[in-house]
Order: sequence, then C-alpha cells, then structure tokens
Amino acid sequence: MDNHTRPVKIAALGMEQRTYSTLQLFFHEHCKDSYVLVEENSADISIIDMDGFQAHRMLEEHKKHYPNQPSILISLSHDKAYDAVYIRKPIMLEALSSALLKAKERLQQPVAKVPAPEVPTVGIAPQLQIVASNPETVTPLLLNNVVHNPHKIARQEKPASKHFNQYRYSANFLTEDADLEHINTKLAENFNPDNPIQIAKFQYQPEQTLQGYFQQAYFTALQKQQNVLLKGVWRPITILHESKQLRVEKNFRHLYALSGMLFDKSNVSITVLDNNVDCEPGLHETVLPAEPFLWKLAMRTSRGRVPANTNFTAPIKLIRWPNFTRTIITPHALRIAALWARQPTSLMDTASYLAVPLQHVFMFYTAAVSLNFVAPVITEENHSTTALPPVKRHRYRKIFQNLLERLRNN
Amino acid sequence: MTNYKIIFTGPVGAGKTTAISSICDRPPVSTDKIASDMTRAVKKTTTVACDYGTVRLNGGDCLHLYGTPGQERFDFMWDILVSGGIGLVLLLDNTRPNPFQDMDFFLDQFQDFINQTQIAIGVTQMDRKSAPCIDDYHNHLSKQGLTIPIFDVDARKRQDVSLLIKALLFSLDPGLIENND
Ligand SMILES: Nc1nc2c(ncn2[C@@H]2O[C@H](COP(=O)(O)OP(=O)(O)OP(=O)(O)O)[C@@H](O)[C@H]2O)c(=O)[nH]1
Ligand SMILES: [Mg+2]
Repeated sequence: MDNHTRPVKIAALGMEQRTYSTLQLFFHEHCKDSYVLVEENSADISIIDMDGFQAHRMLEEHKKHYPNQPSILISLSHDKAYDAVYIRKPIMLEALSSALLKAKERLQQPVAKVPAPEVPTVGIAPQLQIVASNPETVTPLLLNNVVHNPHKIARQEKPASKHFNQYRYSANFLTEDADLEHINTKLAENFNPDNPIQIAKFQYQPEQTLQGYFQQAYFTALQKQQNVLLKGVWRPITILHESKQLRVEKNFRHLYALSGMLFDKSNVSITVLDNNVDCEPGLHETVLPAEPFLWKLAMRTSRGRVPANTNFTAPIKLIRWPNFTRTIITPHALRIAALWARQPTSLMDTASYLAVPLQHVFMFYTAAVSLNFVAPVITEENHSTTALPPVKRHRYRKIFQNLLERLRNN
Repeated sequence: MTNYKIIFTGPVGAGKTTAISSICDRPPVSTDKIASDMTRAVKKTTTVACDYGTVRLNGGDCLHLYGTPGQERFDFMWDILVSGGIGLVLLLDNTRPNPFQDMDFFLDQFQDFINQTQIAIGVTQMDRKSAPCIDDYHNHLSKQGLTIPIFDVDARKRQDVSLLIKALLFSLDPGLIENND
C-alpha cells in the first residue's frame, strides 16, 4: 500500500451523527484528507463506538466479516476485551491521532491470526441509543413517489418463478435465536402498568429503528403491490411485494446488529419502484422471506420491550398464527398464540394466566404486532385485569402434558 | 390404560403416511391395500383402511395416530375414524392444482369434529412449489372467519410434524406447560 498517494479508508460504525461529523471534520482539516470515511466493506480501518446498544454484537459481526481490518474502539469504559486499539472517551485529538497511527501500523504488519478474546456478556439494553448515519446516502423520504430505477440491468435469464430459493435460508431463521438468552426476565417481575416510569422502561420507539423503517417499507410494498427500495446506512434492501421476499446483500446478518440503533429519517429513504424494474438478485445478493426477517428484527429490537403506546391492559387477539416452523419461536410463543386465538387476553393477564415472564409476552407481542399478526381489541372499557374468564383446563391435560414431553424427548 | 387418537387427513400424497412415521414409535402399519375392501375395514377397527401408528406415553397411556386414506371415495368412513379423536391434523400438498379447494373440502368434511376439538394445518411440498404461500392460506381462511395454525411443513422432518402437534395441543389447552419452550 502506498500511504503517500492514497488516503486511508476508515469506516465509522455505531456512531452518533455528531461524532461522525466531527470525525469527518477532523480528517479533512487536521489530517488534510489523509483519511476518508467510507463504508465498512471498503475500509482499511474501522472505528467503532462501543457504548452503543448491541455494540459488542456489531463488533463480533464486523470481526467475522473483516477479520484483518484493524479496529479502533472508543468507549467510556476501561474494558479492553478485544484485540484492538482503544481510545477512552471523551476523545482527545492527540489520542485519536495516535490511535490512527497505531492502527495504520497494524495495517502494514503482515496478517497474523489473532485469537478471539473472550466476549464479555451483554446485559440488558442500556437506555443509551445511538444514531448512525452516512452523509453519502442522505435521501429525503420518498414515500408515494414512484421512482424509475435508472440502473436497470439487463440479465440473460430470468428464473421461472419470482420465489427465489426461499427454502434454503429458512433454517437459519429457525436456529439463530441466541439473542433470547440475553433477556433478564427478572426486570419486569414487579411491573406495574400504571407506573409511567416503569412503562417508559419497557417501551421503545420503533419509528427510527431499522425495524420501523423496514416495516414501513414492507407494508408500503404490500399495499401498493409494488416493489420497494429501502436505503440507509445499510446496503439497499429491495422488498419484493409479490413473493413477500427481500433482496439483500449476502451477508445480511449484520443487519440484525443494527437493531439497537436509531437512524435519523433524513438518512433513510423508501422508494416505490416501478413494477418493470428488474429486481433479480445480483452476484453479492440473496433473497430472503420477508416475514421471518421482520419477525426476527422486531424481536431483536424489542429485547423484551413493547412499542410505545402499547396498551398493557387491552385484550390482545391473534389474527394470524405465525409460521412457526420457519420463524423463531420466542419463549412460550405457541401457548401465547393459542391463548390469544381462543380468547383475547391482555399482556398483563397473559403473563399471569400462563405463568410466564412478562417480558416473554412482550417479546412475542412486539414481533407479532410488527407483522399485524395480533391486535388489541378495542372495547369501551379496557379493564380485563380482574374479570378474566380463564380458558378451561382440558380434561386430557395430563395426557397432553405427557405427549409434549414425548415430543420433546424424541 | 386409555387410548387417545389424533387424526391425520389430507389429499393423496400430502404426506400423511410420512408424517405419522416420522413421529411414531415403530414403523406405522399402512393399510392402503386393504382399503378397497370396505366391509373388512369397518369391521376390523384396529386395522381400518388407513395408516396407523402409536406413541407410548408415560403412565402407560397410548396415543394413536390415524391417517385417513387420501381418496375421497372413502369419506363415509371418516366419521367412524374420528369418533373419540382429540384433534385433527390436516396436511395439504402445495403442488396440487388447487390446494385451497382441498382445504375447503377437508374443513367441510370434518366440520363437526373440528368444532368439537381443534385443528392444525401443515402445508407440505413447499420446497417444490412455494406459491401459494402460507399468508395466502391465511387470507383464504380469514374470509371464513377462521384463525387456524398453518405451518410450512416437510412431512419428512420430525421437528416440523412435532410442532404441528404442539400447536394442536396448545390450541386445545393453552394452559399446558412446556418446560423448555
Ligand atoms: N419434497 C418433499 N417431499 C415430501 C414432503 N412431505 C412429504 N414428502 C414426500 O411426499 C411423498 C408422499 O407422501 P405420503 O406420506 O406417501 O403421502 P400420503 O398423504 O400418505 O398419501 P396417500 O396415502 O396416497 O394419501 C413421500 O415420498 C414423502 O417423502 C415435503 O415437504 N417435501
Ligand atoms: Mg399414505
């Protein structure tokens, strides 16, 4: 590499908009553009903010895909769990300059395999949320505008069906549920739905998350019966309305790592595509079923919380069973679904009636409501808490219990 | 010791025999051949014209799995078959010309039984033909005001069949406890 002729390419991950802009300014003014900010996949060095929600997971994901890319980790803490150059916050110019030099040195060293240090466990979501952005992809929200794609690429053959390889990926959705373990279900044990402080703790705003944007794009596609392009700091995602699939980059898994971040709407665009636009996956892209994707994204974003304005005492009704053989089964999901199908029940009552942690009810609810599989039943008075007629115990409960046991053991 | 039974039904080739084999204790007895001999089938209750398998449960109880013969001409027997059943598993083959028509047909045939018990639907062969998708089935059902568990199922996969039965059991009694879900 010739350092004199070409700027070092830096990816800034998990950054707040302000930090991002500051870096940009710093590279331009102090470093005379010898560093430039680029996307993750074309970077030489990455700078990662470790104080963001799910930053550890994002880093893991990053290391997996770019194992040889030196990283600079900025953090408030003294923790040095990873093999990387560290900078303590608040960031001082000197510290940053010297970190950049160190990282550059690493870059010039021959690639050595670094054993992965032990990963610290991530606790329940800190309330801190971060904004990531990339000024290059700033596009206004284009809802309702039909944009003709100028980059239509002619390809030689079209597959007979618009359902691309749906089956091949479904297994992944089923097994990648490691995240469920991180929910500390004790947190909501004494949850009081009348206490605004507690409510705030267990609610989140999906609007500015990838989940929220994806949801908006997905339902726009279904409603308009047109494909939709979702752009942001991530690689473009195309939603194929007919097959209810999405076209994404092959290593789509890192998208889940974005679930804890907030993205300003000025950095995200949703474009309705003309139906003639060729949406076949390119060489580095793949096609996934949209429902399990959104399900999982919502589940991860939720982390045991519910969207803001959720009514904790209104009965919830199941509108559609999730396709559980090809979707992550959140804890107790089958029982909750069965209960809500039989008898609309509030979130609070569901937890007590089924004797399951409230956060598991929240998690299922959030994933299901993102796809409109469930909805609150709006009644004159939403006070079901006391007068809940419990679903009758089946006379064969013991047999069913034994059968469940058998199905599990085999 | 008491016997309980779950009925598997669906059109020809939907995967009934395969599904039953994937979860029962021993290879199931398939009685397709003698199915043409009605008299004999109705008379000999243990070897009716259908697939048959058992799952032994704790406490000595036994769960019987019956698969109806796929051919519609046997429909008169279904009543006998379902009597005393605890629930219905309907398998539909997504590659058939009109799977919605199949679904309506079986829902209609077993209407009384379903009303008294519960049903879970598995759509098979989706790996060979992905349309219609599960959502389309739900849309079709919701027009009739029905909310039924419908899963994409490969009858050869025990895990899929098992999940279908679990959904059936929880639909029958959501108060059931599953220790590790
Ligand atoms: N590719 C694929 N094959 C399947 C699937 N489910 C079942 N099969 C196969 O489909 C074939 C038919 O299954 P059977 O179990 O014989 O169907 P059946 O419902 O008993 O049919 P009848 O007894 O004739 O009514 C078998 O070869 C199964 O292995 C699936 O999801 N995908
Ligand atoms: Mg058979």
